[in-house]
This record gives sequence, C-alpha cells and structure tokens, in this order.
Amino acid sequence: MPPSQLKQLKASLRDSGVLGPQQSKKQKRQNAKSGAAAQNRVQRNTALQSIRDRFNPFEIKAGGTRTKFDVTTRDGNSGTAASRARPGVTKSLGEEKRRQTLLREMEKRNKIGGILDRRFGEDDPTMTPEERAAERYARASQRKMRKESMFNLEGDDEEEEFQLTHKGQSLNDIDQDDFQEGDLGEPEDDASDSEAARKRKRVLFDDDDMDGPEELEDGEEHPERKKSKHEVMQEVIAKSKFHKYERQKAKEDDDDLREELDKGLPDLFEMLRGVKPPPKPEPPKSDLASMNPDRAALLEGTAKGDTEKEYDQRLKQLTFDKRSQPTDRTKTEEEKAAEEAERLKALEEERVRRMRGEDVSESEEEEDKEEDEGSEMSEDESIPDDAKVFGLQQSSDQTSTRPELGVEDEDDFIIDDDLVETRSDVSLSIGDSDEEMLSAVESEEEDEEDEEDELINGNVGEASAGADTPGDSEGLAYTYPCPKNHEEFLQVIEDVPREDLPVVIQRIRALHHHRLHPDNKKKLGQFSRILIQHVAYMAEQPEHPPFAILENIFRHVHSLAKSHPESISQEFRARLREIAADRPLNLRPSDLVILTGIATTFPTSDHFHAVATPAHLCLSRYLGQGSVNTLADFAKGAYAASLVLQYQSASKRYMPELINYVLNALCHLAPEEPKGSLGIFPARSPEESLRLKISKSLNSRKLQFWDVVGPESPKAREEVKLSLINTFVSLLSTASDMWSDISAFLEIFDQAQKVIRFLDRSCDGKIPSTVQDTLQSTLDKLDGHTMKARLSRRPLLLHDHRPLAIKTAIPKFEDTFNPDKHYDPNRERAEANRLKAEYKRERKGAMRELRKDANFIAREKLREKKERDAEYEKKYKRLVAEVQSQEGREANAYERERRLRQGKR
Amino acid sequence: MPAPTVGATSSKKRKSLKESGVPSSKRRAVAENDSADVMVEISQLEEQISESRKYYNNIAKLISMLNVDDDATNPNLAVAVSLCRVFSRLIAGGDMAETNRAAENEKIIAAWLKERCREYQKALSAILREGDTSAKLTALTLCMRIVSERATHIPGEDTQVWLSGLFKNIIEAIVKTDDSEALRSEFLEKFAKEYEDVRFYTFMQIADIAETEQSTETLDVLISMLSAFDTVPGPEHEFKNFYVKSSKKNKKLTSINSHKKRAQDAWLAVLRNNLSESQRKTLLRMMVHNIEPWFNRPELLMDFLTDSYNVGGATSLLALSGLFYLIQEKNLDYPQFYQKLYSLLDADLLHSKHRSRFFRLMNTFLASTHLPATLIASFIKRLSRLALNAPPAAIVVIVPFIYNLLKSHPTCTFMLHRVIKDEAKAELEANGMDDPFDPEEPDPVRTSALESSLWEIHSLQQHYHPNVAAIARIVSEQFTKQFYNLEDFLDYTYQGMVQAELGTEEKPMKRIPVIEYHIPKRIFTDRMLDEDGGVDTAPGSLVRGLWDFA
Repeated sequence: MPPSQLKQLKASLRDSGVLGPQQSKKQKRQNAKSGAAAQNRVQRNTALQSIRDRFNPFEIKAGGTRTKFDVTTRDGNSGTAASRARPGVTKSLGEEKRRQTLLREMEKRNKIGGILDRRFGEDDPTMTPEERAAERYARASQRKMRKESMFNLEGDDEEEEFQLTHKGQSLNDIDQDDFQEGDLGEPEDDASDSEAARKRKRVLFDDDDMDGPEELEDGEEHPERKKSKHEVMQEVIAKSKFHKYERQKAKEDDDDLREELDKGLPDLFEMLRGVKPPPKPEPPKSDLASMNPDRAALLEGTAKGDTEKEYDQRLKQLTFDKRSQPTDRTKTEEEKAAEEAERLKALEEERVRRMRGEDVSESEEEEDKEEDEGSEMSEDESIPDDAKVFGLQQSSDQTSTRPELGVEDEDDFIIDDDLVETRSDVSLSIGDSDEEMLSAVESEEEDEEDEEDELINGNVGEASAGADTPGDSEGLAYTYPCPKNHEEFLQVIEDVPREDLPVVIQRIRALHHHRLHPDNKKKLGQFSRILIQHVAYMAEQPEHPPFAILENIFRHVHSLAKSHPESISQEFRARLREIAADRPLNLRPSDLVILTGIATTFPTSDHFHAVATPAHLCLSRYLGQGSVNTLADFAKGAYAASLVLQYQSASKRYMPELINYVLNALCHLAPEEPKGSLGIFPARSPEESLRLKISKSLNSRKLQFWDVVGPESPKAREEVKLSLINTFVSLLSTASDMWSDISAFLEIFDQAQKVIRFLDRSCDGKIPSTVQDTLQSTLDKLDGHTMKARLSRRPLLLHDHRPLAIKTAIPKFEDTFNPDKHYDPNRERAEANRLKAEYKRERKGAMRELRKDANFIAREKLREKKERDAEYEKKYKRLVAEVQSQEGREANAYERERRLRQGKR
Repeated sequence: MPAPTVGATSSKKRKSLKESGVPSSKRRAVAENDSADVMVEISQLEEQISESRKYYNNIAKLISMLNVDDDATNPNLAVAVSLCRVFSRLIAGGDMAETNRAAENEKIIAAWLKERCREYQKALSAILREGDTSAKLTALTLCMRIVSERATHIPGEDTQVWLSGLFKNIIEAIVKTDDSEALRSEFLEKFAKEYEDVRFYTFMQIADIAETEQSTETLDVLISMLSAFDTVPGPEHEFKNFYVKSSKKNKKLTSINSHKKRAQDAWLAVLRNNLSESQRKTLLRMMVHNIEPWFNRPELLMDFLTDSYNVGGATSLLALSGLFYLIQEKNLDYPQFYQKLYSLLDADLLHSKHRSRFFRLMNTFLASTHLPATLIASFIKRLSRLALNAPPAAIVVIVPFIYNLLKSHPTCTFMLHRVIKDEAKAELEANGMDDPFDPEEPDPVRTSALESSLWEIHSLQQHYHPNVAAIARIVSEQFTKQFYNLEDFLDYTYQGMVQAELGTEEKPMKRIPVIEYHIPKRIFTDRMLDEDGGVDTAPGSLVRGLWDFA
C-alpha cells in the first residue's frame, strides 16, 4: 500500500530540496551576494510546479493512445507532447481570451455612440504612465517633423490642433523658452528674421481688421503681456513660412553651385582619363565655408548621406574603369592584314558551322521549342505526322527557319560603316557636281580602298570594258529619282546607254544613301529588288547584254544585300517562286542568270538557307525532270549542272540529279546508241536524235552562255554537241573530285565509268584530241578515285551507340519513409488532398471555437440574469424590509399613541 | 457534223428503205413548205390516224416525210416524234398483235403495220448513226420509248426486243459511230445507269460486240462504257428501277448473280481482246475498284493479270494491286512472286508516277516478319542502290521504309553495323573491299546483300536537301521509334517541296538570310584577273572555267 498523500507530499518536497535544513544567516547573505538565492528561487518554483502537477492528476491530460512500443522517431516525442496536454490551463486561457473579446462585444451590443479613446497606450496596462507620456511626446514631435516638408506652405494650421500642451501652453513654446536662439550668435540675423516676420504679419493683417496692427504694436512694445492664442498662432505660422522660404532660397543656391560644378566635370574626367591616378574629387568645403552657415548646416545635414554615397559609387566606378590606353595608334599594314585575315577566318568558321547545320543560336532553339510545342498541340488534334519531324510538309506554307545573323552581322556593320563614310563623301562631291573631286576622293582612299568603295565611288570604268571614262558619261544627269518599281526604273534609264547603267545605279545609290534621309533605307531596299528584276529583264532582251554590266549590277546587289538582306532575299525568293510556278522544267536564260546571282550573293554551302535551298531544289528539279529535246535543252542542263556543282563546291553535298542528268545526256550525245543499260540512272531520250556525227574537222570549244538559246547551223550544232560532251565529261571529273569521300563513291561512279568507257569506244578515237584527252584524263581520275574508294571502304559501323537502358520496373522506395506523409506521385492530387485535409482541420477547429463561444455566451447570459435576479431580489427584500420597518415604526407609534391616550385616560 | 462523206457511205446501207415510195420532188416541196404549215399537217395526219383505221395510210405518208431516205443527216424530228406517238398508241392498243383468230384483213393490216413499224425503226437507227447531236438524242429517246412499248405490250417480245431487235441497233449505233460522246453519255446517264434492266441488257450487248470486235477505238468505247457502271449492287440489293415495268417478273433481271454474270461476261469479252498498252494500263488502274467487284469468280481475271504482270515496267506495277487482291481474297498461289517483285525494282521505278502506289503495295507484301532475312536484305540493298539516283521525293520514302524493314528484321541491321573480326582486319587494310552485293542476280535470296552494308544511305546523309539529309540520318541513330508511318512520306513532289520552302506568296521572313561574306570579285567576266596572278580561284571559278560569257 502506498503511503498517504500527505506523506508522499512531504517526501517529494524533501527530495526536490524545497524543504531542507534551515540556512544560517551567514549563508543567506552569501547566497544573496552571489546571486544563488535568485537561482534557488527559480529552481524551487519549477520544482514546486512539477510537484503540484504530479499531485493533481486532473491538471494533466493523459495521452489518448498509449505507446505500444518504445521507439524513437524522427519527429521527436510527439506522443509525449500529446500526453502532456493540460486541459485546465488551455481552458482557462480560452476563457480569458473570450472575456476580453467576446464579452466586450456582447456588452457593446445594441449600444450606439460613446467616446473612443485614441490616446496612445491608454488601454495598455503594460505601460507605466511615464512611458506613456514619453511615447506620446515622441509621437507628437515626429508628426510635426513629418509635416514640415520643404514646400508645405499650407497645412500648418491644422497641425496646431494636435499640439501637445502643458498647462495650456504649447510644448513647442516651452522648448523655445528653454533654448534661446540668441545664444548661438548672429543676433542681426535674428533681428532680420523678426523684422521679416513683422512685415509678413503686417501684410497678413492689413486688411483683416483694424485692431490687428495695434495689437501687434502692443505686442512689440509690451512683450510682457501674455499673447492671445490667436496671436501666438499667427506668429508661429509666419515663422514657419519664413523658414520655408529660406530653405527654398538655399536650395536654389545649391542648384546654382551644383551647375557650376557640373560645368567643370568634363575637365575633371579628362584629368581622370590621363595617366595620373584619379585624384580624389575635392569635397567643396571652401564653398561651404563661404556659404551661409546654417544653409551649409542644412546642406550637410540633409545631403551628407547622399553625397557620401555618390562619392563611394564614383570611387567604385573609377576603380573598375579600364585604364585608358593609347587606342588611336595607327596600325601598320601587317596588323591590318592580320586583322582582316582574322575576320575572314571567323567568317569562314561561321560558314562552316552553318554548312554543318550547327548554327543554332539560343534564341532559335527557344523558338524551335515553341514551334515544336505548337506543332505538338496541333498534332494532339490530328494524327501525328512522322514526316513533319523532318521538316517535310505537303505543299503547305512553311515559314522557313534560318540561322540568326550571328557575329557576322557586327562585322558587316563595321564594313558598312567604313563604306558609309566614303559614300557620304561621295554624295557630297556629287552634290558639288565635280567629277574630278570624285576621282580625287578615290585616289585619296586608294590604299584602303575596298571592293565596295570601288563600287560606290564609281570606278566602274574598267568593269564596263573601259567604256565608262568620265568623259563618256558626261551626258548623264547627276541626280536620278529612286524608282519605286521596275517600270519606273525603265523610264529612268530610257535614254541612258546600256554601258552607262552602272553609273546610273551608283548615282542612285549615292543619292539615296540612308544617312541622308530616314526614308532612304526603304527606298534603297525597293531599289535593290528592282535591280534584280532588271537583271532578269536584261537577260531576256534579244540583243544579249554584255555580261560585264550584269556582273556589275550583281555586285551592286551584293553590296546592297549587306544592308538590305531582307528585300534582296525576298526578291530572289519571288523569282524562284515564279520559276517554280511557271516554268520549272524549262528554264529561261534569265533564270540561269538569276540562279548564278544567287550563288554569288548567298552562301550556298549552308545546311539550310532560305534562298539557297529553294534554288538548289529548282535546279535539281530542272535536272531531274526538265525537257531534253533539243541541244539548247542540253546546253541549259549543262549550265545548270555546272551551277549546281558550283553551289556545292564548298559543302560537297551529293546530288543524284546531277549524275543522272550528265550520264543520260552523255548517253544521248554519244555517236552510237548504247546497247543495254549502263547503270541505274533513268533514261530520258530526246524526241529527235541528237547524236554526234563524228568528223575530225570538228573542234571543241568552250561553251558560250548563249548556247542555251540553241545554235543555228548544222555545223555549229555538231560543234556544240562536241563541246557539250567535253563539258559534261569535265563536270563528271569535277564531281568525282568533289565526292571522292562519299562512302558510296563506287556505286555512284561505277555507272559514270561505264558511260565514259562506252563513249570512248563509240567515238573510236575519231574525235579531236582535246576531247579525247579530257575523256582519258577523266577516266584515269575515276580509276584513281575508285581504287582509293575501294581501299578505304569498310563495313558500316553506324550503331556503336551505348545500348539503351531497359526500362526499370523496380518500385520506387523511399529511404526515409514516414507514414504520416503522403507520397502521392501525382502532384496535383497530393496538393488537392493536402488542401482538403487542411480545410477539414480548420473547419473542425472553427466549429469547436464557435461552440465554445456559444457556451461562453450562454454562461455569461445566465450569469447576467442571475445577477439581475439577485439584484431584484435584494431590492425587493430591501423594499419589503423598508415597508415593514415603516409599518413597524408606524405600528409602534400608533401603539405609543394609543398607550398614551389610554394612559391619559 | 459528219457531213457529206458519211451520208455517201450510209446511203448504200439503206437499200431496204425503198418502201417509202414518195418522189423526192414532193418531199422537197414539203420541206420547202412553211414550217408552221408542216406542223399543222403533221398533227392533222396524226389525229386522223387515231380517229380511224382508214387513215392508216397516213403513216406511210408521215414516214415519207421523215426525210431519211438517202441521208439521215437532216431528219424531220417533229414527224419522228409524232410517229413515235402513233406507234406507241398502236402497240398499246394491240393493233399490231398477230392473233390467229383474227380476220384475214385484220392480219393484213397488222402485217402492214408491222412492216411500217420496222421501217420507222430503221429510220430511227439511221438517225442515231448519222444525225446531228440533238437529232441523235431525240432518236435515242424515241427508240427507247418504242423498245419499252414493244417489250410491254407485244407478247414474246419482252426479251427479244432487247436481245436482237431495236435495242441491239441502239447499242451498235452508240458504240460504232464516231463522235458519239454526247449520245453515249446521254444513254448512260438517262437509261443505263438509271434502269437496271437497261444495264443488264447493255452488258449482254457489249459482250456480244466485244467478242467479235477488234478495233482499238471500239474497245476504248466499250471500256469507257463499262467503267461507267461503277456501283456494284450489294448482296441485299433490291432491284426496283426498271425501264420496262414488266421486267419485274423476269427472274433473271431480279437476281444479283445474273447481273454480275452479265457484267463479268462483258468484261471478260473485252479483256480477251488484243488490248493496247494504254488500254491495259487503264484497265489495270481501275481493276480493283471497278472490275473486280463485278466478278463472281475473280479468278477468271488471273490470266489477264499474270499476263500484265509479266509485261514489265509500269504495267507490272499496276497489275500488282489486282494480283494482290487475288492473292489475298482468292488464295491465288503465284510462283516466285517475290522474285518478280524484286525484278520490278528497276531504274525507272522511283521516277515513275506510280511510285507511291507501288510502295504502298510493297509495304504490304514485305510486312510479314516470317520472310527470310536474306530476301529482305536484298530488297533493302536494292532500294538503297536505287536511292542513289532517285529524286528527293523518293528518297524520303525509301529511308523510312528501310527503317521499318530493319526494325522488323533485326538480322538485317548487320547492314548498318558490322564489326570486323580481327583476322579479317589485316586483309581489309591491305585490299579494301568490294560490295559483296550482286546487283545482277535476279533471285533476291542469292544476292548476298546481307553481307553488304548500306553505304548508299550513309552517303545520302550528305544529300543537298537538308530535310532529306535529316531523314537519311535516322539510320545512324538509335532505333527507338517503333515504326515510321509510311503514308506520311508518300506523295511528295518537287513542286510540293519547292512550295514548302517558298510558300505561295511573300511573307515577312522570320530570320534574315545570311549574305555571303566573300565580295564577288568576278561573276561572269575575267575582271581584275591580273591581281590574282592570272589564275581564277575566286568563288564561281568553276562555272567561269567551263563557260564563256560574252
């Protein structure tokens, strides 16, 4: 049996050291000195509390669930915490809180009006009255400070209402009394101050009332007299306004000063840039000294922080500033050459990158991603198209993506800038209408003359075969309008001899340089398109224009393309579109010229290029499907084939159509018909035989461009045939050089070898030796390449990839699994569940609180009712008692009276 | 207008037409009469005929007015119409029916009327052959009307009129006369397609003609007529649309099988003829959709199809689909089918317009995973060989096709990845290697393509067209995709590709195209050649070297 409660209590008190042997006085003193007493007291209190808890089992609520196993968990001793709940304490806390809030509300219910005590800290019991007063004073002064912004002329009046007073006197006044301004010196300033104030006041009161001035006079003469409140107010207003004015003035002065300083800043910077280390910017102390002292004080007071900060900033900037270097040193020729080589190298690298199709800048990738997403979106709706992944589209519009202008652009710009300068010079000189000047400018810049400059400066003389000496173009006007379309341009050049066309173009370009007028950029863009149209137009003319002029125009186009790439490419694309729509299988000479122009204007080696790729397609389509009925067709084909090879000279990509066309053409130009198939190229035969008639007298010549129109005489026809054979064979030879690294070289050129051998046999050595030589050398070359290709041929090893990982089916284990947590892989669902749980919890809590509130209210009401009843009872009893006592008194009195009467009687 | 020449030839044919003994002078007089008078006269004559028998001689008069004695180019259509009415009435009234019990004179009248009717029919046939287009159309309607009346009202003629009588003449006229497109389409639209009995008998007539006829033009006409019947009645089809109402009772006309049989006969008769190449192609092209459904026994087509398949070239390609139908539906066993298929992969295949059609079929044929890998490898290798000379649109199909094949026949991936054994390495280093593949071998199992590698596809990764190159690159990436949907890659053309690049109209460009940084020193001419030491190495030198620009 456990001992009794009392015994237990005593024992525990003794154990915890609350009760113990009494300490001696000495000990007590010692303890008090060392602070152990205080410590002891704290200890004793906690011990007592724990003993109290232990002995009142109702104070502490036992945990709802007993722990089955003794385990340690990560989230601490949550179970023990739950078991330590103290319902009594929490209940009383809640009760207290309700009493403070709910009860208040209840009491205030159905009551209107009343006074709100807004004084600071009035309801705060934690503050001592002294603290309260101090805080109030601080707040009042703060508010005053805040109100006094620099330009606040009005609004002082209302402030007065909130002024703190002490014994009916403003606290500010008291301040002024305590702190005499006169002590600080400058009495005359003070005087002027008061003088000004007086004047101001007079102005203020002049028309207000008659008594004003007199009163003022009185006030001045008898300072002893206590000022009326109104007066005091006015004075205060006047003073503050004066101060404000003063501050404004000071600010203006500061501004002047600052401007003056700013004027000196460039000099300062110049000095800083020099070799000398930057001297510390002198703080304008001297100025301050000469300034009005209180203004200086003001300046220092308010702006000191700012200036310091600014100064720090400057200092930092300066430390990070690059040391100025002698950049303007003129470069030597070698350096310039090296720089140019560097630039070209960078450009070439850029080109190679594009050729490999690697030029995907950040932004483009992003865009691609967006596009992908977009296409995915659309694919969601329809069946996904495998072909689209590769950019193939069934003849629907495709906005082509092409590489962003990279670094190259900048270089271009630099070039352009040089160009612009010379050009503006030129335009000026043209404005002076002085041809000599032009050449002078040219000779001046001769050493740094660029190809571009040459174009602009009008050194087209030699380009147009010497026909364009200044004397020749004297008949030309110096100004031409910038044409808006090709018709206009044709009108403009109506009277211009063909040879002078370059001069006209150059003048139009110079006159409409984009530096001269903002619209000119647009105009020149249009003009560049017209130039391309004009080239096509000229090439279509029956009298064939000299190629020197076409070339010159193309060079203009190229230089314009640097500044107007958009319009030039649009125009080229428009031409290609026209070709594709109208005559894809029967190209015209003008189309060939345009396609040649594309080769010089755009990098045809690019993996993808908005103009070059369609141009490729156009040419290969012609080669693949174009008509092969006449010699002119073959000539066109030969030109197209050369052009295609030209396009691929850098990138060396394979073109099946070229091989097909050349082999087919050779088969049909050969003197005899081949027996049996020579390869797997498709045979397309002309309607009439175009076979070469062998005769020794024929001579092979270099093909003329205008052979594409077709030769007339039979003799010429044979000559052209022979030349075509020669050209085709040399094209094969070039192609074999170009594609010698392709892995299927053997397969591709096996047919070519067969065809050439057959040609060789069928010609039977009866053709001119030049052609024979070409044949033989090509054969030799092919043999050599074939040997090499055979030697270097290896089985393909394309799938040396790392093997793909097999998809895992292992469940995902949590290393730190906690059953209280939810491991929902679906984020949204997990989030929703979390929110639901929270909502449930909150709802429960709110309901509990509301229930408690209701209980509280009911309790309070009951209490009130009881009080009221008790009061009533009391009152009733009191009244009854009163009546009874009165009755008793009266009864006594009556009794006395009666006794008296009886006594009398 | 077939004008005088036709008239001259046809006049000989019309020897039998001398019954109308009206002098030509009179006819001319009639012709000269005011047309209004003629109309009045015609209607008067017609009325009289309907009033009483004694005016039956008017029929002869009307026939004479028909104006088709020598030459049917200018018939009097009003007369023809009124005559048609007269005869219809007579036939419906039974006046032309021969009854044994009838009186002698009745018989004589009936016989006379029949004679006149025959005359009239001949005249109509002549118009059908020789008249101008509108006359032909009218005559056709009238003929069909008479046919209908006869079939309905004259007992015993309900089939006879179709088989041998007037209807035969109509079909012959339609088939044999030149420039009768309008007539033919009218007939097809208004009668043959509309009415099932007309179609039935048309089939029979066509079969008759085709069995005897050989000329190419006639066959063309027959084929076009037959191909017009493109809706085959389904098994639950109910025959309701009859031109002659009494046909309903005819059992033959209401059974699908007999209809199909007629059609089948007609087609077979046509197919047995000596067809030209283009006709063969036309037939093959519509084989699956138009011809085969008509056949109760499609195996009858086998001869035709195998013959066509053996022709080679595009014809074989076209025959393939019909053959496939037979193989699939009728369990046709075609010996050495794959060898034949392999032989179809020739130089022209990828350039022909039937390319995508062929690929669709080949995709089906090679879909089985049970085919030997050697065979598949041969197909793959052959296709890649062809791809070396193919237009981009074909390469775009071939590469995904090969991918799919490789995916379903993993053994063939040796063609993409073959690790060389160490002992063979030295040999390879010294001599290189030739392609083990034998392109000449016709049997796809013996080409030893499996020992080869797909250098061709690898080379195409350097194709000039960026998209094609990108597609060719799939063979050297990991084969993660299950298969490529071949349908997405078919039907590309140069035009489509160019348009995809260029669009149809000008649009603002997303990116500014890069401009060549080389400033062209010379494009066409030898400008400033001296500066480079006389040797042209600037860009574009290739063209300048080969061509003379002057």
